[in-house]
Amino acid sequence: MARIDALAKLTGRAVYAADVDLPGLCHAAVARSPFPHARVVAVDPGPAREVPGVIGVFTAADLSPGRYGRRVRDIPLLAGPEARFAGERVVAVVAESRIVAERAAARVRIEYEELPAALGAEEALAPTAPAVHEAAWSYPGAVVTPDDPPNLQSRVLHGSPEDAERALAGSAHVVDRTYRLAAGHQGYLEPQACAARVDPDGRVHVWMANKSPYRLRHQLAECLELDPELIEIHPVTIGGDFGGKGSPMDAPLCVELARRTGRPVMLVERYHEDLTSANPRHSGRVRVRVGCDGEGRLTGFHVDALFDGGAYAGFKPLPTVTLHGLEEVGSSYRVPAAAVEVRICYTHTVPRGHMRSPGAPEAVFAFESALDELAHEAGLDPVEIRRRNLLADGEPNPWGTTWVEARGRATLEAALDAYRPLAVPPGWRHGRGIAVYDRPTRPGRASLRLVPDGDRLIVETGLPEQGGGAHTVLRQGLARALGMEPDRIEVRQVSTAGLPPDDGVGGSRVTATLSVAVARAAEALRAEGGPVTVTLDPATVPPVTSYCVQVAQVAVDPGSGQVRVLELLTAVDVAEVVNRDAHRLQIEGGAVMGYGLACLEDLLLEDGRVWAANLGEFRIPSPVDVPGLRTVLVPGGRGIGVLGVKAVGELANVPTAAAIANAVADAVGVRVRDLPITAERVHRGLAGGEGEVGEEEAQGGER
Amino acid sequence: MRLRFQLNGEPVEAEVPGDALLLDLVRGRGLTGTKEGCGVGVCGACTLLLDDRPVSSCILPAGCVQGREVWTVEGVARRHPEIVDAFLRHEGLQCGACTPGQVVMAAALKLRGGEPDEAAVREHLAGNLCRCTGYRAIVESVRAALGS
Ligand code: FES
Ligand code: FES
Repeated sequence: MARIDALAKLTGRAVYAADVDLPGLCHAAVARSPFPHARVVAVDPGPAREVPGVIGVFTAADLSPGRYGRRVRDIPLLAGPEARFAGERVVAVVAESRIVAERAAARVRIEYEELPAALGAEEALAPTAPAVHEAAWSYPGAVVTPDDPPNLQSRVLHGSPEDAERALAGSAHVVDRTYRLAAGHQGYLEPQACAARVDPDGRVHVWMANKSPYRLRHQLAECLELDPELIEIHPVTIGGDFGGKGSPMDAPLCVELARRTGRPVMLVERYHEDLTSANPRHSGRVRVRVGCDGEGRLTGFHVDALFDGGAYAGFKPLPTVTLHGLEEVGSSYRVPAAAVEVRICYTHTVPRGHMRSPGAPEAVFAFESALDELAHEAGLDPVEIRRRNLLADGEPNPWGTTWVEARGRATLEAALDAYRPLAVPPGWRHGRGIAVYDRPTRPGRASLRLVPDGDRLIVETGLPEQGGGAHTVLRQGLARALGMEPDRIEVRQVSTAGLPPDDGVGGSRVTATLSVAVARAAEALRAEGGPVTVTLDPATVPPVTSYCVQVAQVAVDPGSGQVRVLELLTAVDVAEVVNRDAHRLQIEGGAVMGYGLACLEDLLLEDGRVWAANLGEFRIPSPVDVPGLRTVLVPGGRGIGVLGVKAVGELANVPTAAAIANAVADAVGVRVRDLPITAERVHRGLAGGEGEVGEEEAQGGER
Repeated sequence: MRLRFQLNGEPVEAEVPGDALLLDLVRGRGLTGTKEGCGVGVCGACTLLLDDRPVSSCILPAGCVQGREVWTVEGVARRHPEIVDAFLRHEGLQCGACTPGQVVMAAALKLRGGEPDEAAVREHLAGNLCRCTGYRAIVESVRAALGS
């Protein structure tokens, strides 16, 4: 079944934020701080103002002092008097064209006084570290207090550290390992883009690559102290999201610039700006201490995660201001005693945001690697240690949740059944690695309006289409619920003025949300006949979880350390699948993204600067890089709503890095604990050198 | 600078600054199907056909079209409905940001002729990044469009 949006995209007609054309539209560009930490001493806009075509030049002092954020409101529209990361917006220029705006921005004279910077999470928490914010606890939404270290963004603690210590002390085998992850970027091909217009009566209109329009409206209202009813977010197609298109980003600035100039203003970031200054993935380290008894049964674990949140906390949406995937570490297993502490801190580096299943690839890379290391220690096969510890139906996970069903074992066996070893080039070694992940499906808030039109039906939704296929799933779901032909149903995305609030896209919640919403809508339509509007309250739906087991096969050249991932086999625990093609793409695209995290992606953050500042340096997988992909669906699960679905959008990207690291260890006995897994790192391990690989493997050799 | 060239099969004239980019030239004429991704010639989102060969319009000066023939995704989709159809049938897209470039690359391969196998199609698409799909569906779409 073809996607609703496909034809417009294939013929170039789909309108993305950067394609929006408004009468009188002008363009903004910004001058950014070159220093990780500096005081803006003076700004001379003169040379920029002289450029023909320039409409205005603005500093922080010229604009609203409001700050914005998805939760913590700590991000200013422009920096001043302090600039807190290299790449922060300092001066904005509005001009008749984008090129003119950029040229003029380059001519603004900004005098800086460079200040000492806190770079790196450990360093930032030291008592002597320069504070990134005077009083971070005072920002609306902050979860820290004046008694916390000044550079703390958030700290969460789950479980009982005492119980975990006791369990570890009584374990037959324990490993204590630390894993590190480089900063990465969501890598959507469409850079951040928005346009804003302010009408003479004060109404604000925004067109933006943003996946949660209703939240954007709320965030803009808070930051600029506006009545949300006066703000309208118009629908546009989104060119990829992966967690990076959920914040207000440049929208508050655009609105202010539009207000001050009296013209509609568009700001489209150049890709290098997006890489260096938007909201890339957190870097950090995860220390895992995990133990088992003589039979390989897990006794307890203690996980300590420390992540670099960059200069602002405002790109994290959760009330806890943390990365929830880290909080749920070890969730697939039966573990009597568990504790996890997650700290995220401010540094003078690019502020970090969400990326597809935030915190989960990090947690799973560390935990599933450690599990293999523990198996090795205990003399067990990596498959066996998982078989013995995966949750069975009715058993609670380490964080106290008992799901409707626990299909980890079945998913693991399905993956192993499908597994076939592939040949490696002569002289190369073959390795197989396994990793497991499970992710809950939780519906969100959604509103739909159904308008019958003869034998057709018009469905209005506030849900944007960011590539996941939301509108297509909505049409198919309604068709099923109403017993109609899908082609008699027309899906229209309406602006925020059209419907009650919707949570937008994210958290893999779309299909599940729609699964419940379409049933309600269908019921209401049958009962009332005429146009109906239904709003779904997510609290009433019991959540389920779905498992994903990945098996990576690698070939490693023992001479150079080069790793070739031959195949990623992904087994996914599913219930009903609404759109098979879209479902498969989510899994395959996820696995390839997991491969990128595992083997390629690194923003090369050094001295507080992003060095991989273009898509040539920051490499995402290309068609010739990608491993063979195989997908095994494990049907029969119990899903959510009338459609009976489980989430799939943020599954397959999660276990990949651990599966590949485990496969490399299996092939050549080198345990890489730092991502990405480069030939250089593997080679260092093979050569018995020091560095990112562990001490044990520093001696090299096969195990 | 005054330019005369063929755009999607029609003769056109344009007045552009001497340092304008080809990407800005076509987008400025309302043909916004051509996208700016990386802006440095590595992602392929801005691909269009110049005398039937694929080029990255984000790194080419607009002046290079003088007297030549340009096809953007809008024109390619009209000229090659079988490519659009193949992508529809094989679901070779998600967010669509890379899609215009992929469609244009399919046309380029078609115009070049021959019967490329799976590996050759992949190689042909090596400079067209897609963050969404994992590529299998794109490669299948292109192969279907070629009838291979
Ligand atoms: S935008 Fe031209 S190659 Fe990426
Ligand atoms: S479909 Fe989104 S980048 Fe290819």
